[in-house]
Amino acid sequence: MTWDTSKNLFKSNSGRPSGMETKNSAENSSSAEATLNSSSSRRSILSSHSKASGNSIREVSFADFGSKPVRHGSRGADSEGLSTSQKEISDEDARLIYINDPVKTNEKFEFAGNSVTTSKYSFITFLPKNIFEQFHRVAYIYFLAIAILNQLPQLAVFGRGVSILPLAFVLSVTAIKAAYEDYRRHRSDRIENNRIASVLVNNQFQPKKWKDIRVGEIIKIHASETLPCDMVLLSTSDPTGVAYVQTVNLDGESNLKTRFAKHETLFKMPEKEKVIGLIKCEKPNRNIYGFQANMEVNGRRLSLGPSNIILRGCELKNTEWGIGVAVYAGRETKAMLNNSGAPSKRSRLETHMNIEIIILSLFLVALCTVVSACALAWLLRHKNELNYLPYYRKKDLVGKDYNYYGVGLEILFTFLMSVIVFQIMIPISLYISMELVRVGQAYFMIRDTEMYDEASNSRFQCRSLNINEDLGQIKYVFSDKTGTLTENKMEFQRVSIWGVDYSGAKSQIEPVGYSVQVEGKVIKPKMNVKTDPELLQLSERRNDTKEGRHVYDFFLALAACNTIVPLVTDTSDPTVKMIDYQGESPDEQALVYAAAAYGFMLIERTSGYIVIDIQGERQRFNVLGLHEFDSDRKRMSVILGCPDKSVKVFVKGADSSMFGVIDKSLNKNILHATESHLHDYSSLGLRTLVVGMRQLSASEFEQWHSSFEEASTAVIGRAALLRKVASAVENNLCILGASAIEDKLQQGVPEAIESLRIAGIKVWVLTGDKQETAISIGYSSRLLTNNIGGSSEASPTPVALIIDGTSLVYILDSELEEQLFQLASKCSVVLCCRVAPLQKAGIVALVKKRTADMTLAIGDGANDVSMIQMADVGIGISGQEGRQAVMASDFAMGQFRFLVPLLLVHGHWNYQRMGYMILYNFYRNAVMVFVLFWFVLFTAFTLTTAINEWSSMLYSIIYTSVPTIVVGILDKDLSRKTLLKYPQLYGAGQRHECYNTKLFWLTMVDTIWQSVAIFFIPLLAYWGSSIDISSLGDLWILAVVILVNLHLAIDVIRWNWTTHAAIWGSIIATFICVTVIDALPFLIGYWAIFEVAKTATFWLCLLACVIVGLIPRFVVKYLYQYYSPCDVQIAREAEKFGNLREVGDVQIEMNAILGPQRR
Amino acid sequence: MMSSNTASSSAAVAGSADSAAPRRNSKKPKYSRFTQQELPACKPILTPRWVISAFLLVSVVFIPIGVASLFASRDVVEIVDRYDNDCIPDNTTDKVNYIQTPGDKSCNRSITVPKRMKQPIYVYYQLDNFYQNHRRYVKSRSDAQLRDNSSASDTSSCKPEDTYNGKIIVPCGLIAWSLFNDTYSFSRNSSQLNVNKKDISWKSDREHKFGSDVYPSNFQSNDTVIGGASLNSSIPLSQQEDLIVWMRTAALPTFRKLYGRIEVDLEPNDVISVTLQNNYNTYSFNGKKKLVLSTTSWLGGKNDFLGIAYLTVGGLCFFLALVFTLVYLVKPRRLGDPSYLSWNRNPGGH
Repeated sequence: MTWDTSKNLFKSNSGRPSGMETKNSAENSSSAEATLNSSSSRRSILSSHSKASGNSIREVSFADFGSKPVRHGSRGADSEGLSTSQKEISDEDARLIYINDPVKTNEKFEFAGNSVTTSKYSFITFLPKNIFEQFHRVAYIYFLAIAILNQLPQLAVFGRGVSILPLAFVLSVTAIKAAYEDYRRHRSDRIENNRIASVLVNNQFQPKKWKDIRVGEIIKIHASETLPCDMVLLSTSDPTGVAYVQTVNLDGESNLKTRFAKHETLFKMPEKEKVIGLIKCEKPNRNIYGFQANMEVNGRRLSLGPSNIILRGCELKNTEWGIGVAVYAGRETKAMLNNSGAPSKRSRLETHMNIEIIILSLFLVALCTVVSACALAWLLRHKNELNYLPYYRKKDLVGKDYNYYGVGLEILFTFLMSVIVFQIMIPISLYISMELVRVGQAYFMIRDTEMYDEASNSRFQCRSLNINEDLGQIKYVFSDKTGTLTENKMEFQRVSIWGVDYSGAKSQIEPVGYSVQVEGKVIKPKMNVKTDPELLQLSERRNDTKEGRHVYDFFLALAACNTIVPLVTDTSDPTVKMIDYQGESPDEQALVYAAAAYGFMLIERTSGYIVIDIQGERQRFNVLGLHEFDSDRKRMSVILGCPDKSVKVFVKGADSSMFGVIDKSLNKNILHATESHLHDYSSLGLRTLVVGMRQLSASEFEQWHSSFEEASTAVIGRAALLRKVASAVENNLCILGASAIEDKLQQGVPEAIESLRIAGIKVWVLTGDKQETAISIGYSSRLLTNNIGGSSEASPTPVALIIDGTSLVYILDSELEEQLFQLASKCSVVLCCRVAPLQKAGIVALVKKRTADMTLAIGDGANDVSMIQMADVGIGISGQEGRQAVMASDFAMGQFRFLVPLLLVHGHWNYQRMGYMILYNFYRNAVMVFVLFWFVLFTAFTLTTAINEWSSMLYSIIYTSVPTIVVGILDKDLSRKTLLKYPQLYGAGQRHECYNTKLFWLTMVDTIWQSVAIFFIPLLAYWGSSIDISSLGDLWILAVVILVNLHLAIDVIRWNWTTHAAIWGSIIATFICVTVIDALPFLIGYWAIFEVAKTATFWLCLLACVIVGLIPRFVVKYLYQYYSPCDVQIAREAEKFGNLREVGDVQIEMNAILGPQRR
Repeated sequence: MMSSNTASSSAAVAGSADSAAPRRNSKKPKYSRFTQQELPACKPILTPRWVISAFLLVSVVFIPIGVASLFASRDVVEIVDRYDNDCIPDNTTDKVNYIQTPGDKSCNRSITVPKRMKQPIYVYYQLDNFYQNHRRYVKSRSDAQLRDNSSASDTSSCKPEDTYNGKIIVPCGLIAWSLFNDTYSFSRNSSQLNVNKKDISWKSDREHKFGSDVYPSNFQSNDTVIGGASLNSSIPLSQQEDLIVWMRTAALPTFRKLYGRIEVDLEPNDVISVTLQNNYNTYSFNGKKKLVLSTTSWLGGKNDFLGIAYLTVGGLCFFLALVFTLVYLVKPRRLGDPSYLSWNRNPGGH
C-alpha cells in the first residue's frame, strides 16, 4: 500500500489526468484501495475506484420505477431491473461471447446473425402463411364453412366459382394490404441490412455490411453513426471511457445518455494488440434498461451492467469513436425484441354489435327453419305425386330415385341450402368495411392540423386501429398531472435557504445570464433563470459570512447532487460557448441551471470527479460515491471529496422522506421555517425538494466506503444492499434549505378541461404530487373553482373529492371500494394525489368495474403505462418523458388540449359514422336476404334465386360497399366549429344515440317493409304474365341496389363530391354489372335486362318499389327530426340557417351566470 | 481539461446538426380542404317546406301515371278460357290415366269476342301451379349443349334426362323434356285464323343461345316416361321457337307463355272456335290450363295492379302533404331554435 502503487492504479485504471488535487484523490483512493484489495482477494474481482463509484451504482439506478414525484434519473421496469441485478447468471442461461473471436463464439450456439427481417413473409410462404393467419377470424371460418357446404353436389346452390367469390375477395383485399406492408418492410430491411459498419477483420477495421456482422466481432463506431447491433463498450475516444448515446430511435428520449467502457479494456487498441476475453451475458431479452453480464479480461472478472452496453438503433453522439464487441445481433437485439405491435382492444360499439350479430344469426336460423318447415309440408302433401310432377320427377329413366334421399334428408339439405342462400344475413363485409373506415378515419385524425404539436414536431398517432369510435363515448378521463396537464419544463422559482425565503418574484428584473470566462472564451448556460438579487449578492460573497456559507453549501449541493452531464457546444459567436445540461430529469436540469445562474456552474462531469466553476473559480470535487434516486428512499445523495479535503454527503429529496433523516435537534427554528416555506410553495403548485448535508468524519467515511464497496460488488441483492448503504449514510443531516420548481401548465389546459366538463366528461386527475400541489394545479387548471364545496342550496353544488395514495391503498384493499365509488361518482371533480403507478390502474379499474361508461386515461410517463393499458382508451403524450406511455397507448399526441378536438370532434364524428355504418350494413344485407326469402316462398320452398348468382355475390362487394365506406369516413353530422362551441353535443355518444337496441329493431322493421315493397310490387305487377325468372331477378336486384343506395342518400348529412361519386357511381356501376352479366351467352339470363328494359312496366315497378320502400322511413325521420329533435339536429339546423350567433350569445350568458357546471 | 475540450468540439458539431434537423423535416400535416374534412358540401335538412313539396311532387308524378296505367290496362281486351277440365270426357274418372293414354284428345272450344281486338292479338297458354322455378327443374338444362353442337355431350346438369340407353339426349334436361304440347287452331266463321308462330321468342335467344347447328336427337324416345312434346329432329334448335319460349323459365308458379300471334283484327261478338289437342298433363298436380287471347298496350297485358298502386301511393303522398301542412301550421317549430337544446330545455335536470 505504497504511495506509488496507488497512484499507478489510478493512472492505469481511471486514466484521470493527475492534476491539481493529486494529493486529495490519492488520499481518498488509498483508503478505497484497502477495501478493494480485501474484496478482490475474496472474489477475484478487481474493481477500480471509479468503477465502484460510477458504474455499479448506475446499474442499480435503472432499478427505480415511477420516479415521478421527484425525477432524479431513470425509469424502467422495477421488477425487471431488480431481478436482473440480483441473480447470478447460471451457465445454462448465459451466452458466451469470445471477444474478437466470432468463429469460436458462434460455433457452439447458433446466435442470430445481424441480418434483420421485420418482414413476415417470403415470396413462397406468403400465401399459406397469410391465409392461415387470416382464418384466425371466426367470421372467415363461417364464410369458409358456407363455401365448403356449397361444394357438396346436393347443396350446390351457387356455382362453385361464385360461392368462393366473397371469401376470395375478402381474403385477397386483406392479403394485398399485407403484401404491400410486407413489401415495404422488405425494402426497409434491405436498406437496413446493407448499411456499412467498420468491423475488425485481421487486425484492421474494414467496412462490412450490417447483415454480415456476427456476435463476438469488434466494431468501431464513429460520431453520429447508428449502432448496428447491441454491443458492450470496450473503449471510446474519451480517456475516461465515457460515450454518449442518443436513444431517440429506441425509446424516443432525445437527451443524451452516458455509457461507460470498462477501464480494463479502455486502453487496449484492438488494431495493435489482440483483445482476448470472454463475456458471459444473459439470454436476449426485451428489457432495454437492463443488462447483466460478466466479462473476463486478462484473467480478471468484471461485472457489466446496462451502462456498459450500447444498443442497436442508438446513435453515438459527442464521442469521436467507440469500440465495442457485438453481444446481441439481429433479431436478438433489444431494439428488435421490443418491436412488438400495438396493443389490441375491441371497441364498445363492436362489442354491442356482436349482440346484434347474434340476433341476426337467430333471424337467419328462423328464416331457414321457416323454409325447411314449409318445404316439409309441401313434400308431404305432394308425396305421392313427386314422380308425376314434370318439374320434380323423382325417378330417373330406370325407375330409381334420382337425387332424392327421403323426406328427412331432403329437409336437412333444404335447411343447409337456405343457410347458404341467406348467408349474407351475417354481414361479413362489415368487418372489412369497418377496418377500411377506421383506416380512413385514422388518416384524417393524423392529418388534422389542429392536433399537430409544433413544439415536439409530432403529429397525432393512431397506434390502435380498433377503437376510433370509442373516442365518441368517453365518460371518464383519468389524467396524469406532470407532463400531461403541465409542460414538464421545470422552472426554478423560489428557494428557501437556511430558513430564509428568497423569491425571484419580488424582483421584476429580466434574468441576466451568468457567464464565466475560460481560456478567453465565455461560457454561458443555455437557459437563463430568473434570480433573486439579494440571494445573488449573498452567493457572490461566498464563504465570508455564516449566511454565505449556507448559500454556498446549498448551491454546491444543487450543482453536485445530480446526474446531469454538461455539454459544451459552440454558438454562432466564436468567443461564446454554450453549456447545455443533459439529463434525464427535468427537475435536476432546472436545479443545475439555477445553480449556474447563481454562480455555481457545473462545467464537467466524469465518473470520478466533477468540475464546478464557483464564482469564476474552477474547483474540482471528487465524487466518492453516488446513491441514485429510488422510489423507496425518494432521495438521492452524493459523497464529495472537497478541495479542502473534507468529505461531505449532500442529499436532496422529497420533503416527506427528507424530514425523516434530518437531525431534528439541530436548528429547530430553521426546520420550522423551511417547513412553512415548503407548505407555501406547494400550495402555489410548485414542486419542492429539500436539501441537506453532513460532513463525514474519516471513520464514518471508511465505514461507508467498505460497506459501499461490498454492496456494489455483491452478486446477489446488489440493489437492496446499496439501498441499505445509502440509508445508513443519509442520516442525521443538517438542513440547508428547499427549492421550489414550477411545472407550468400546458397551453390551453384550463379551457380544455372546461370543455370536457361541459361535454359531461368527468375529469379525474391522478398525480404523484403532494396534496397541496395537486390542489393548486387543480385551481389553475380550472378543475377546482371557488364555488365548489360552497353552501348547498336547492341546486346541488359541485363537490370535489381529494384523496391521497395512502388512503387509497387502504380503500382499494378493503371493501370500501363501493362506497368510494359512490362518493366519487357524486363529485364533479376527483383529485388523487400521491398515487403509485399501480394505484392509478386500480382507480381506473374501480370505475371500469362499476359502470358501463367508457374510460380514457391520458399520461406521458412510464408510471402511467398501467393506467393507459387498463382504460378503455389509452392516450400517450409524446412529450418530455420518454416514450413508454406512447408505446403502451392506443393514440398518442403532443398536447393535452388536443384531447378536445380528438374527443369532441373526431370522437363524435367517428362514433356517429361507425354507429350508422353498422346499422346500415345490417339493413343492407337483411333487405337482400328478405327479398330472397320472399321469393323462396313462391318456388315450392326450394331456394331458387331469381337474382343472378353473380349479382347476389357482387351485391355486398361492388353494388353497395363503396358508399357506406365513403360515408363512414367522410360524413360529418356537424362542423368542427359547432362541436367545439357546444361541447354538450358530445352527449350524443355518451347516451348511445347513434347505435342502440331500439335503433336496431326500428331498422329491422324498416328492412322488412322495404323488402316487402321491393318484392311484392313486381310480383303483383307480373303475376300471371310471361315474365321469365332472369328478367324479374334483374328487376329485383336493381330495385334493391337503388333503394339501398337512396336510403343511404337520405341519411347522408353532408354531400360533397366524394359522396355524390360514391352513391351515384354505385348505382351506375350496378347497371353496368347487370348489363355485362346479361350479355354473357352462357348464363341463363342472357339478354334479359335488354328485353325487360324495353317495357314500361319494368321502369314503373322500379320507381314504385323505391318510392314505396322509402316513404315510411322518410315520414318517420321527418316527424322525429321536426317534432322531437335531438341536440345534434337542432345544432345542425342552427348551423345551416345561420342563427348560430344568437345561440352563442345565450350560451355565453348562461356560462357567466351559472358557471361551467353542466346543466 | 483536455478531455473536456475534445468532447466539446465534437459536441458542437453534433449539436448544430441536431438543431437543424427537425426544422427541415417538419411533420406538420399539409393543409388541404380534403385532409381537414372541409370539402365544400351541401347539407340538406328535412324542412317542412322541403318535405311537403317532395310529397306533393310524388303525388303529382304518381297520380297521372296511375291513371294512365289504369286506362291502358282497361284498354287491353283479354279473353281467358280455362279448358283443362272441360276437355276431358265427362265419364272419365282417372284424368291422369286419360291424359297419359295415347290417342286423339282433340277438343273444341268456342270463344266470343267481347270487344274489338286490334291486331296483333297474342295467343298465350297459361299454366297455374306449375313451378317452373323449382330448383330441381331450373337447373336441369345444359346451355352449352343448346348453343353448340360440339358441346352435345355436356349433359352433367341434365340428369335424369341426360342419356337414353347410353345415347345423348339433345336437348337434355327436365325443362326440355316437359315441353308444353297442347296445340291450338282457331277459326272464325269457319274460316281459318292464321296463327303466326314466328318471332315469338327472343331474337337474342335464337341467335346466340340456341345453336343453328344443333338438332334434336333421342328426344322423348323413352316411351314410358314422356314429358311433353317431341321435336322435329330435322329442324335446328334455333328455329324451334316453342322450345325456346318454354325454356325461358317463368319466374312465378302462375305464368303465361306466348303461343303465337293472330294478325287480324277481331270484331265484337265474333265467335272464335278453337280446336285444341289436349295433350299436356297438368292433372297429376292439379294444374290449370288456360288459353289466353290478349291485345297489348304500352304497358303490356291486362293488369290493374300497377295503376291502382300508383294511384294509392300518389293519393297517400298527397294526403301526407296535406297532413304535414296542417300540422306545420298548427304546431310550427323554429328551426335551429336553441331553446330546444336539451341542456336549455330542462334546466336543473341532468
